[in-house]
Amino acid sequence: MSEPSMGMAGRVNDWGLRWREARWLQQPALLVGGGLLLAMVLASLLAKQISPYDPIAQNLSNTLQPPSPVHWFGTDNFGRDIFTRVLHAVQLDLQIGVLSVLFPMVVGLFLGSLAGYLGGWVETVVMRVVDVFTAFPFLVMVIAIIAILGPGLTSMYVALTLAGWSAYARIARGEILVIKKAEYVQAARALGFSNLRIMFRHILPNIVTPAIIFAMSDIVLVILSTTSLSFLGLGVQPPTPEWGSMIAEGRPFIMTAWWLVTLPGMAIVLVGLGLSLLGDGLADVLRTEE
Amino acid sequence: MEPILEVRNLTTQIPTRRGLLTAVDDVSFTLHKGEIFGVVGESGSGKSMTCRSLLRLLPSSARTVQGSAVYRGSDLLRLPPKAFNQVRGREIAMIFQDAMAVLNPVHRIGDQLTEAMLAHRVVATPAEARARAVELLRKVGIPAPERRLQDYPHQFSGGMCQRLVIAIALSCQPQIILADEPTTALDVTIQDQILKLLIGLQHELGVSLVLVTHDMGVVAQSCQRVAVMYAGQIVEIADTVSLFTAPKHPYTRGLLACVPQLAADGEVLPLTPIPGSPPDLVHPPAGCRFHPRCPLASEECRHGTFPLQQVGQQHVSACIKHEELGLLS
Amino acid sequence: MNDLRAVPPILEVNRLSKRYVMNAGFWQQLTRRPPELLHAVDDVSLRIAPGEIFGLVGESGSGKSTLGRCLLRLVEPTAGQVLFKGVDILQLPRAQMQGMRRKLQIIFQDPYSSLNPRMTVRQMLGEVLSVHRLCPPHRVEARVRELLHLVGLPADAVDRFPRHFSGGQRQRIGIARALAMEPEFIVADEPVSAVDVSIQAQVLNLLIDLKAQLGLTMLFIAHDLSVVQHISTRVGVMYMGKLVEMAPRRLLFSQPRHPYTQGLLLAAPQPDPFHHSTRVALEGEPPSPLHPPAGCRFHTRCPLASDRCRQAPPPLQEIGEGHWVACHHHDLAVWPPPAVTPWAA
Ligand SMILES: Nc1ncnc2c1ncn2[C@@H]1O[C@H](COP(=O)(O)OP(=O)(O)OP(=O)(O)O)[C@@H](O)[C@H]1O
Ligand SMILES: Nc1ncnc2c1ncn2[C@@H]1O[C@H](COP(=O)(O)OP(=O)(O)O)[C@@H](O)[C@H]1O
Ligand code: SF4
Ligand code: SF4
Ligand SMILES: [Mg+2]
Ligand SMILES: [Mg+2]
Repeated sequence: MSEPSMGMAGRVNDWGLRWREARWLQQPALLVGGGLLLAMVLASLLAKQISPYDPIAQNLSNTLQPPSPVHWFGTDNFGRDIFTRVLHAVQLDLQIGVLSVLFPMVVGLFLGSLAGYLGGWVETVVMRVVDVFTAFPFLVMVIAIIAILGPGLTSMYVALTLAGWSAYARIARGEILVIKKAEYVQAARALGFSNLRIMFRHILPNIVTPAIIFAMSDIVLVILSTTSLSFLGLGVQPPTPEWGSMIAEGRPFIMTAWWLVTLPGMAIVLVGLGLSLLGDGLADVLRTEE
Repeated sequence: MEPILEVRNLTTQIPTRRGLLTAVDDVSFTLHKGEIFGVVGESGSGKSMTCRSLLRLLPSSARTVQGSAVYRGSDLLRLPPKAFNQVRGREIAMIFQDAMAVLNPVHRIGDQLTEAMLAHRVVATPAEARARAVELLRKVGIPAPERRLQDYPHQFSGGMCQRLVIAIALSCQPQIILADEPTTALDVTIQDQILKLLIGLQHELGVSLVLVTHDMGVVAQSCQRVAVMYAGQIVEIADTVSLFTAPKHPYTRGLLACVPQLAADGEVLPLTPIPGSPPDLVHPPAGCRFHPRCPLASEECRHGTFPLQQVGQQHVSACIKHEELGLLS
Repeated sequence: MNDLRAVPPILEVNRLSKRYVMNAGFWQQLTRRPPELLHAVDDVSLRIAPGEIFGLVGESGSGKSTLGRCLLRLVEPTAGQVLFKGVDILQLPRAQMQGMRRKLQIIFQDPYSSLNPRMTVRQMLGEVLSVHRLCPPHRVEARVRELLHLVGLPADAVDRFPRHFSGGQRQRIGIARALAMEPEFIVADEPVSAVDVSIQAQVLNLLIDLKAQLGLTMLFIAHDLSVVQHISTRVGVMYMGKLVEMAPRRLLFSQPRHPYTQGLLLAAPQPDPFHHSTRVALEGEPPSPLHPPAGCRFHTRCPLASDRCRQAPPPLQEIGEGHWVACHHHDLAVWPPPAVTPWAA
């Protein structure tokens, strides 16, 4: 037998390898985006230390103050410090963003992969349902579902999941149809692995990448749509600080006190920026891994 | 033998994530008028990059950093773009491996065939171009050519597409055709048809053909002279018969020993593989690039440069130990 | 190996067919247009004796891969039997088929797509060993190294991902993965078509070594006749889903009797500058597999075609010891062909 040789791979020393594995460290977009989000989360965790005000207690003698060294973002119509409320809302808003994308992602990936992998009538049924769900305008469906279930965080998650899964199912099915043809999936079948194992070990890890990349931009959209929900009084209920409901509550004052709407809006923009940078960076890293 | 294209010290580099990749490294050769010149080598050895450098069809990041290619007294690599466009397509045409990818799926075959002729003003009127297109299709062996002009590429099979691409290359009566693996994507019986078509046309029209391939069989069946490429460099150039009977480079010899041959009696000889695999062109080995895989390698092979040296009439090799190779039995 | 009939075959394929239904989309169902059928493999029978390497050649689309995959039920055949050691595996219920998979393995053509990009070599081989409990957990590591050694990969390959290997090395990993199952029968589907010439010989020699060392039986698929000649003990030639000729290696290459086999042999460019011809070996192209010609499927390209060929499909018949040909006029197919003239002085 011929001499075993590592060719080009053989000369790559371990450090070279590690450094290349650690490609995520070399992605400015990833670092900046991640850093931005991390900073926001940290600030909200330290909210009590950063700002002396209470996010909920009203102070009616101090309403609608413009931004100043005392109240950086000014105060609202109940005299609450807006900066404090924006800080306190970070965790809730990120939680809403992440969970409202995670649930539909899991459901969508599962059903979409099932459809793509099994094919046949399962695929037909799932994809017809996907078509129906996609046909409804996103917000209309969310509002309708919350209207049925009654306002609140749980019904919001349910509604966003029901309205959002179909996009992930489409992605998953499309990717699976490609991967299913890849010979390593055929190889796994030839090796006698069970369908479950092939699905979870050999197929899903390879379709999660595009799904995650899509999810990053989806989170921003979801946070924005919670704003619309709060507008209609269907989202997070006052007085809990949440950017969407803050904007909704500040709307009547937009001509006289711009800071009520604009500054929480800035927070959403910042999160959006952080997430899309993170998404871009992640996309680069994950794509080049193959 | 009259030279028609003289390539000297051609070097093309591509920046990659891992560093600068020298895809074509100091390549020199002369193409003679009316010959079929083979360029053979393994995947990644720089055959396509050499052709693309000559026609200035490189990927956007790649740069030809050195060298000249003299055609009719002017250096193709330094011609101003306008003048170069007069040459490319008209005097020097290229045939690519993947014909399907080269043809534009939304345009009719007739239009694609007449486009270059009209652009280069080889013909005066569209009617004349059409007549020539029919004649060209007939020449490359497409039946009922008048009717096929209205077709789209997807209505053609792979072999017919390759015939069509050849017809397009011939349309402006070029002096030189660079054919980059024109038959690699085809089945063996179709490959045989296309090769024989190319050889016949070359004979008939007297064009000079550079035939890039990785298949020693294709070289033996069609070329008069051959250059062997390894890791971006030409390591040997010889007339076909000398190359196959008395190769003067261990790599060439290794290639010949590792391709299975059909034997009339069905008996087979064991193959001698070349150990290892081709080097990484970002960090090529120092000295002779073949030394990690070469059975004759010794200390002096690990350092210095290895230019092509005359080792016979019409025969050059980059190996300093070519004398030790002897005749192949 | 000549006296095949004496040994019971390890694998017997009887009248195997695979039809794909094309255009069976929603619209077609709605309009009740009959779907078109593509006969990828059409009524193929063959037997493979233990220890044989059966080479299967043909142009792309002739049905080689489909046949190979049917043998492992990676593709479900439409009709026919596949007997492995006398058991019809097409009738096996799922659970028993999983067990059978251990004995039947496949090596793929594309060393780039046949390995999961996210698994290291250790994970890939380890998974096979542990899922099928092929060796006790504490032995897995050692067995992985043993397998790597067997296919000529260095031990430090275990923690690398497929992207860190060259084409030839990946092909070795694919072979190691198949061998991990300790199979008795391997389908090698063009294992050297996508690797470099200088690596091709390494992989071929490895397969020949392994066959001798482990007593494997193999169906070796290729489109390159010289590769098949090099490795096989017996050879079958396919054209448009049909087996058109089958014979022991020496016989097939020295006395091919089917006009298509002869055309293939003449068309293969030989690395020998003293041996060429200006004549095109076979004119024409294979017709659309959706509308195969009536009678002999080769008649549109065959130099010997007669009216009979256009009407009746020729049966595969034995014309000599172990030499099967499907041609009405096999006795007219002269070999070697007269007048092979050099084209240039
Ligand atoms: N666009 C590109 N970006 C980066 N590297 C490239 C690019 N194109 C080619 N290369 C590299 O340049 C080298 C030479 O490539 P080239 O395509 O000329 O090889 P080749 O001899 O034609 O091979 P093949 O037989 O596979 O066609 C290879 O190492 C290849 O990886
Ligand atoms: N999944 C499929 N669906 C439809 N047609 C297929 C499928 N797989 C293969 N075919 C067709 O079956 C024929 C034989 O294919 P294949 O066995 O892959 O040929 P080969 O391996 O000889 O190149 C071809 O015409 C091909 O297009
Ligand atoms: S120069 Fe040395 S290493 Fe290079 S081919 Fe010749 S003998 Fe081998
Ligand atoms: S049966 Fe007729 S057409 Fe078919 S191969 Fe034989 S001679 Fe040719
Ligand atoms: Mg190329
Ligand atoms: Mg195939």
